[in-house]
Amino acid sequence: MGAGTSSTTGPGDSVQGRALWGLRAATVAQALALPLALCLLWEAAGRSGWMPEGILPPPSTVWQAWLAWAFADPGMGLNPYLGTWLPTVGYSASRVAKGFAVAIAIGVPAGILIGWSRMIARSVDPMIQSLRPIPITAWLPFSIAVFGIRDMGAVFLIAIGAFYPIVVNTTAGARDINKNLVRAARMMGASERQLLLRVVLPNALPSIFTGLRLGLGIAWTAVIVAEIVAVKSGLGYVLWDAYYVGRMDVVIADMVSIGIAGFLSDRLLLLVSNRVLHWKQFGAR
Amino acid sequence: MTDRPAIELARIEKVFPGRTPVRAVDGVDLAIAEREFACILGPSGCGKSTLLNLVAGFEAPTGGTLRVAGAPVTAPGPDRGVVFQEPALFPWLSVFDNVVFGPRMQGKPRAETDAAARRYLDLVGLSGFERHLPDQLSGGMKQRVGIARCLVMDPQVLLMDEPFGALDAQTRMQMQELLTHVWDTFKKTVVFITHDIDEAIFLADVVYVMTARPGRIRARIPVELPRPREIDVLTDPTFNKLRAEVLHLIREEASRARALAAGPAPR
Repeated sequence: MGAGTSSTTGPGDSVQGRALWGLRAATVAQALALPLALCLLWEAAGRSGWMPEGILPPPSTVWQAWLAWAFADPGMGLNPYLGTWLPTVGYSASRVAKGFAVAIAIGVPAGILIGWSRMIARSVDPMIQSLRPIPITAWLPFSIAVFGIRDMGAVFLIAIGAFYPIVVNTTAGARDINKNLVRAARMMGASERQLLLRVVLPNALPSIFTGLRLGLGIAWTAVIVAEIVAVKSGLGYVLWDAYYVGRMDVVIADMVSIGIAGFLSDRLLLLVSNRVLHWKQFGAR
Repeated sequence: MTDRPAIELARIEKVFPGRTPVRAVDGVDLAIAEREFACILGPSGCGKSTLLNLVAGFEAPTGGTLRVAGAPVTAPGPDRGVVFQEPALFPWLSVFDNVVFGPRMQGKPRAETDAAARRYLDLVGLSGFERHLPDQLSGGMKQRVGIARCLVMDPQVLLMDEPFGALDAQTRMQMQELLTHVWDTFKKTVVFITHDIDEAIFLADVVYVMTARPGRIRARIPVELPRPREIDVLTDPTFNKLRAEVLHLIREEASRARALAAGPAPR
């Protein structure tokens, strides 16, 4: 009794805290073990000459390439892979942010209205559902024809890609509402507008955030596709450009950058989601 | 002073359409006086909740006339506060924000509303829980919030649909006492739906016993017990006499319902 239990408060807390931290460190170590082992294998394969460097450069070479890409002095600006990493990530991230914002601005209100009104659902939903199977890659020619080789084309593709999961999940969230919550709001004198903004929308927020996370993933796919084909800057552009000039080290550094940017933006969204949905933390409704 | 009833139902009928239309209530005549605490008591499935939904304006009757304070009911509104069986609080709003939801929607002045909300939260014993979320409250506490958010709108009538039905026996008794106390302080017309005989007699000025489906009002039984009522009333001889009377009526209705369910549907 006593020393072994962790339910006591006071001095025991710091011990428990340290134990918790230890657990987290262990979790992080566990998460990193496999990728590190693969990197080591890959490094060994590269050094032994078994894997030609021009096809798959070892992690150490990739790391050097990234350091130069990120921090080296661009000098006369003839080498595009010196000191240009941050602006490159910035171009892609800002396109994702713009396209994603457009997708939210259209997808959430549309989803709420489709979920709420059968009349709107009948007139809008069939069109959305029949356009949805068209992959964003199929929109590329259309996008270039309409917007040209400019930012707008990328933003358009991202918005299209992120729109569908957002609108579909928002619709589901707006439909899935307890009838008595609506009755309660009407009983308390809420107008239709207030009902949508103060009851249907907050009720749909958990599924809206599910849609946002799916949409953000698609947004990163879309920005790379758009930059490969339709825009002359950003991570997607560098990816394809580096491939053409045989800089596989930059290609891989670019891929890792995309992965990290996608991961971090998802974490950020999750952080926002946890704040907004703080009322969900107590579970059962 | 008028003798006009607060709630007036004449030949009210409600049929739910469908492949096999359901005649939930049929020919209900009911006049509930102003400031009367009316309990509507009936076997389950007798259409008593339907009756309440009609008065609340959540559903429209398929026949008959329905007036609250002399005006026909067309839609739900803040003049008729409803306490639901499951509390139906907004889980994303704090207790306080749930209570002020109605006045905010109606654009009432904040200062007044906030003061009133605090007063009613205090009256239902929830002072200090303003910032809690509904999910952090017990079932009984949620229903107190449900009552407070109606009182703060100062409605003409309070409609309660088996509000304590899902609570455990002890909490239910506490809530019944709380409700009589609240009602003694702020006399309003109350329509309280229940299938619990003791609850009906303990709370009501008048108990209306409903028939099995299709529901009609079978009997009107005034409860002449003194107020304020305490839990001791449950052992009062008058209480027991009323209880026996109501129990008899309910038994008859329950067996009639069983007979109807077993036999061929009447045409």
